[in-house]
Amino acid sequence: MRRAGAAALLLWLAAAPARAHEPAGPPLSFEPPAPGTYTLQRIMAAPDGEVLDLDGRAQRLARFTHERITLLALIYTTCVDPEGCPRTLPVFDAVRRAVGDSARLRERVRLVTLSFDPERDTPAAMRGYAGRRATPGRVPWVFLTTRSPAAVAPLLDGFGQDVRATTSRGHGAPQREISHVLKVFLLDPAGVVREIYDSTFLHPRTVLNDVETLLQER
Amino acid sequence: MTSFRVLGVGLALVWLVTAAVTGVELAGADETCNSPYIAKLIKGQEDYVYVWTLGVDGVGDGSDKLVTIDVNPKSKRYGTVVGAVSVGGRGEAHHMGLTDDRRFIWAGGLAEPKIYVFDIATDPAQPKLVRTIGDMAERTGYLGPHTYYALPGRMLVQALSNTKDKGGVTGIALYNNKGDFVTSYPMPTTNGGDGYGYDLAVNPRKNVLLTSSFTGYDNYMRPLGDVVKDPEAMKKFGNTMVAWDLKTMKPRKIFAVPGAPLEIRWSPKAGDNWAITAAALTSKLWLVKEDKGEWQAKEVGTIADPAKIPLPVDISITRDGKGLWVNTFMDGTTRYFDLSTPEAPKETYSKVTGKQVNMISQSWDGKRVYITSSLLANWDKGGADNEQFLRGFAWDGKELKQVFEVDFTKEKLGRAHHMKLGSKSLKSS
Repeated sequence: MRRAGAAALLLWLAAAPARAHEPAGPPLSFEPPAPGTYTLQRIMAAPDGEVLDLDGRAQRLARFTHERITLLALIYTTCVDPEGCPRTLPVFDAVRRAVGDSARLRERVRLVTLSFDPERDTPAAMRGYAGRRATPGRVPWVFLTTRSPAAVAPLLDGFGQDVRATTSRGHGAPQREISHVLKVFLLDPAGVVREIYDSTFLHPRTVLNDVETLLQER
Repeated sequence: MTSFRVLGVGLALVWLVTAAVTGVELAGADETCNSPYIAKLIKGQEDYVYVWTLGVDGVGDGSDKLVTIDVNPKSKRYGTVVGAVSVGGRGEAHHMGLTDDRRFIWAGGLAEPKIYVFDIATDPAQPKLVRTIGDMAERTGYLGPHTYYALPGRMLVQALSNTKDKGGVTGIALYNNKGDFVTSYPMPTTNGGDGYGYDLAVNPRKNVLLTSSFTGYDNYMRPLGDVVKDPEAMKKFGNTMVAWDLKTMKPRKIFAVPGAPLEIRWSPKAGDNWAITAAALTSKLWLVKEDKGEWQAKEVGTIADPAKIPLPVDISITRDGKGLWVNTFMDGTTRYFDLSTPEAPKETYSKVTGKQVNMISQSWDGKRVYITSSLLANWDKGGADNEQFLRGFAWDGKELKQVFEVDFTKEKLGRAHHMKLGSKSLKSS
């Protein structure tokens, strides 16, 4: 079963460029290394803390960072930088489709989107942002926020995500903006960060190769 | 202390006849030359220049220190020292690097396997030493951390030497931003690799990491005059560059680049996929560029008169990739090369900016240029030629005009080496 799942993923990867990959962002300008030909280092343990799900229920983040391979994005929903948070959605969509096509993989991978702007990104706002993506599917995609900036701060510190609030003074009223650099984290089932993607490396092909590389470790 | 006046022409002949490569350093990076993963590039007026400074026995407290200079012309303290953080020891302070979030500077010395971490975000005017990482030798066997190159959430640390024989065979250590050791990557010693290391430079678009090569502790901690008189020592300098697969951190191709290739600069211009370096001992510029699907290294230019041993020690590329500053240590000259055609760099300007010059950094807009003086404690010039300074210059595209100077000896600071730019606006919220 495991072998069949891996084969299915590899077949999907081979066929994928014409499928779900290219709409997920600019094409890669390099050929990513084949799964299993490299090692994903154990960079650091993912932090834990209280988060809120879409119903406003308090949960531990660790519940969503263990037992499965986890692709986790730190975002804020009003981000408009095309190289920032919006990049995560089509990439996660593509990864979710690919993983969902494999009966074995869909039991072993999850997606998490966590807001670092709890003042605006309430559970209701996150539900609106998630839309149909929050609907239970073959691959879990969990949308989370926190109660307050104080609650999210240790999580950001733990992930090493620098976030700074700024005020934009354009023609209209001052707008509060958040300055950050996109980071997406790949966690193994033990909750250890194994890769950190910036916008140039965040692509379904690199992510799926890394997922397969982690699976081959076991 | 080596006196280059005494060595004179004889030194030049030794270098040329030996055809080996005495390395010379040593440079680093500036706003246009930082890792592409570093956030918050300062694209306006910088407020501070941080100078990683070698302690000198009998000068001030004698310790290595991070010195903060106010460089904003609108400040009342323009051109003066506003802070200095001593590390309480002397370990041949050399280079430093910013973490990807630009909240911390990692700095180290070539005489020890220690890495100092300074917080520059809590108060950019007054950096604080917040951590000392002391496990590099134990974890890797490497000595002399040199280049600190930010990756997302991590820091690659290129060492220059090793604790076993203190030669030039070394490697790269990987730490996470918290200072925890992750893994290490030895420099290749097969397929043409000499095992030496120096600088790191990443092109993420192409999944390529380039490395260059210098020499080991036994040479860089020894008086230069002794090194050049020792034929065996002169054989122990790097003659290679390596193109690595960044994702796998495996060597992909090794290039023969004789003469200690030092700083590596990828063109920052969008769409460009080439890098340039200067070989210190042969005084040549080399271009690394993809050609027919293969990365190639090619000699493309000469810096000054190699027979006079100018020793190019640092380069700084303009943000449009069309210009390159080159500092040559021996003649104290700052040179500008037109890089419009990277295959044929052309020197268009030069000026003597000190009796000895080493590092050169420029602001993002290229209008301000900063120069420091020290190469290595045992390689700097002697007597009156041993100027130690940070000098600020204005560049209008035609002429470098000095606008301020901080005399590091008069201020009892030490030998001024590597620079990074800082800004009040980067204070953490």
